[in-house]
Amino acid sequence: MAHITVDGTLLEVTEGALLIEELLHNKINIPHFCYHPSLGKDGNCRMCMVEIEGQKRPQIACDTPIKNGMIVRTKGAKIDQVKRAMLELELINHPIDCPICDQAGECQLQNYYMDVGLYESRLSTPKTHGQKRVDLGANVVLDQERCVLCTRCVRFTQNIAKTNELGVLKRADHSVITTFPGTQLSSPYAMNVVDLCPVGALTNKDFRFHKRVWFLQSQEAICNGCARGCSLFVDHHKEKYKEEVIYRYRPRLNVDVNGYFICDAGRLSYKNENACQGVHPLIRGKISESEYAEGKLLKLLKRHQGKTLWLISSTLSVEEMVRVQQVARTYGSFVSAYGALYEDVSFGDTFLKCSDRSSNGRSLKLLHIDASEGYFETALDEATLVITVGRNDVDTLDAKGYSNSVVIVSQQPLEACEGVELFLPMSSHMARDGSFINIDGRIQYSACAIPLSPDVKPLLSILANVLNDGVFTCKEVWEHHLSDRAPFLDVSFENLPIKIDL
Amino acid sequence: MGIKIVKREGGSLKDRLYIPAIFGGMKTTLRHFITNISDTSKVKTFSYPEVQPSDITSRYRGIHRLTKREDGSIRCVACFMCATACPAECIFIEAKEREDGVDEKMPEIFTIDVLECVFCGGCVEACPCDAIRMDTGIFSFVALKREDFVLTKERLLSHEAKKETL
Ligand code: SF4
Ligand code: SF4
Ligand code: SF4
Ligand code: SF4
Ligand code: FES
Repeated sequence: MAHITVDGTLLEVTEGALLIEELLHNKINIPHFCYHPSLGKDGNCRMCMVEIEGQKRPQIACDTPIKNGMIVRTKGAKIDQVKRAMLELELINHPIDCPICDQAGECQLQNYYMDVGLYESRLSTPKTHGQKRVDLGANVVLDQERCVLCTRCVRFTQNIAKTNELGVLKRADHSVITTFPGTQLSSPYAMNVVDLCPVGALTNKDFRFHKRVWFLQSQEAICNGCARGCSLFVDHHKEKYKEEVIYRYRPRLNVDVNGYFICDAGRLSYKNENACQGVHPLIRGKISESEYAEGKLLKLLKRHQGKTLWLISSTLSVEEMVRVQQVARTYGSFVSAYGALYEDVSFGDTFLKCSDRSSNGRSLKLLHIDASEGYFETALDEATLVITVGRNDVDTLDAKGYSNSVVIVSQQPLEACEGVELFLPMSSHMARDGSFINIDGRIQYSACAIPLSPDVKPLLSILANVLNDGVFTCKEVWEHHLSDRAPFLDVSFENLPIKIDL
Repeated sequence: MGIKIVKREGGSLKDRLYIPAIFGGMKTTLRHFITNISDTSKVKTFSYPEVQPSDITSRYRGIHRLTKREDGSIRCVACFMCATACPAECIFIEAKEREDGVDEKMPEIFTIDVLECVFCGGCVEACPCDAIRMDTGIFSFVALKREDFVLTKERLLSHEAKKETL
């Protein structure tokens, strides 16, 4: 522990830590380009200048270890003058493309300029030019002119992705970022450089020109792409006269799971969510009202009491699974998760991506939901009604020679509805909240519930109507069904995220 | 942000008596009355729509137009500043990649619903590229269907600036 004074305020900080870390930790605005907590210091941009008492010249906060009793000034005319000069230098050859730059609105160069910019150009010679619209591969587009040469992207490919595709070419004014000859960005994490780039030099080809960022609203969520369960921001917007659309996922800092990054596959999986829009309940292939379809589900359940098999997916949240069990108990039905766990060895790696692609497969085991083929076959023999939840793989049933009634409750649109008694759409992953247990046993609550299809209800609501017990929210499910059963005895909805033993 | 202090007018004794102001107003009324009665050609009103106004200046906020570059191509880069500034939220833009080498970005769709528009001029002020203007002088806009009031990019590009006549 050490004490330092910053702009007259006494702070308690860690001795020896980098000054910028503690300043940012204490929410003190300190402009910086090259420093990033995941990449460390580099000291090349000189934006993070502060005055330190006893030092003749301003110092960079990102390469100054903290000493007890330091007196630091981050504000004032003198330090502003230094920052203004740095920005002037950064902007000498900058194209000022803001109107066509996707970064505008979340650009550090814009932000710092608004704070301490010079506002008047003193440049009399032509700007040096670089290449624009360079496709670096992996959905990353480079604009060399907008680059401030902070080398965050280079250091990412060196230290994190360890693929080393990027480097700085040429000298001085002519320095540009480029891939090494004959290479392209190839890491499955490459798109993280777009988030790392503090300006609009690296932009996302998939997001390019789709939306100005200031229209976007963000919600916090957990990715359902694999068993890791990375933390995300989901950026969405509802245009006037249109439905909600998700435009992109961004990594959300979670030191226990994914750190600052997510994989590209997860990042692009937002498309699945948008693809779930525009579905309607179908009764024997005919579009129906959702209230009527729910009534039909209840009727079918009563008719097939004791002879129903719920075939659930591993993408359901813990709350949804336990509620399905509750319904099954009430109506004396079987619950199976046969075929819900799937491994994809080509997907997994040693960083974030897991071969186990089920977002909540661990919960099946913890809730004792049988995924074995034997149990599934026995149950199927007795069943006269199969309700698939969160999946619509009718072929699994066909393969076993099942020919009785089928009900599908799923987020995905139905491809062929032949022989399906009832199709009831349920909210997709980002349209309903829920908790998921990741590969390390961490129970994480995904709060994101964007009304992507206003007529489609979350599974919890559908089941609450079936049971008619008014348990709609995740919190209520935890109180009524989860917190009193092993292994969730010490867990309550309020203390999520929490790690349990698998 | 600074605070601008505006001095309040009308505090003097003359102002507070009201009588001089009333006489001032009556003087104007009487002057018009006498001019109109002595020479009808000087009457300020006219029989619209047979007679069209001739005093619409270039500062008048008429129906919008999208301006063009020197090469005749669209100037707008689909930056959405106008749509952001618009209080009526009646500008609908969809951006696309511009392939002709002039720029990187342009609008695929750019429509203004003039039924929703309040003609505030906010879009013109907001545009960083001088790509939208309201200097067409079109002050009356007639159509048979509601849909026809939703002006497309092509329509907005076809509008020209009003020729200065004054
Ligand atoms: S990088 Fe920032 S400052 Fe440069 S054009 Fe893009 S938004 Fe503007
Ligand atoms: S491309 Fe972006 S991250 Fe890379 S050096 Fe330039 S500004 Fe920094
Ligand atoms: S004039 Fe005002 S209301 Fe009309 S389009 Fe422009 S900004 Fe919107
Ligand atoms: S008209 Fe101007 S403000 Fe509106 S999108 Fe085009 S360039 Fe941007
Ligand atoms: S952040 Fe300190 S020099 Fe770049």
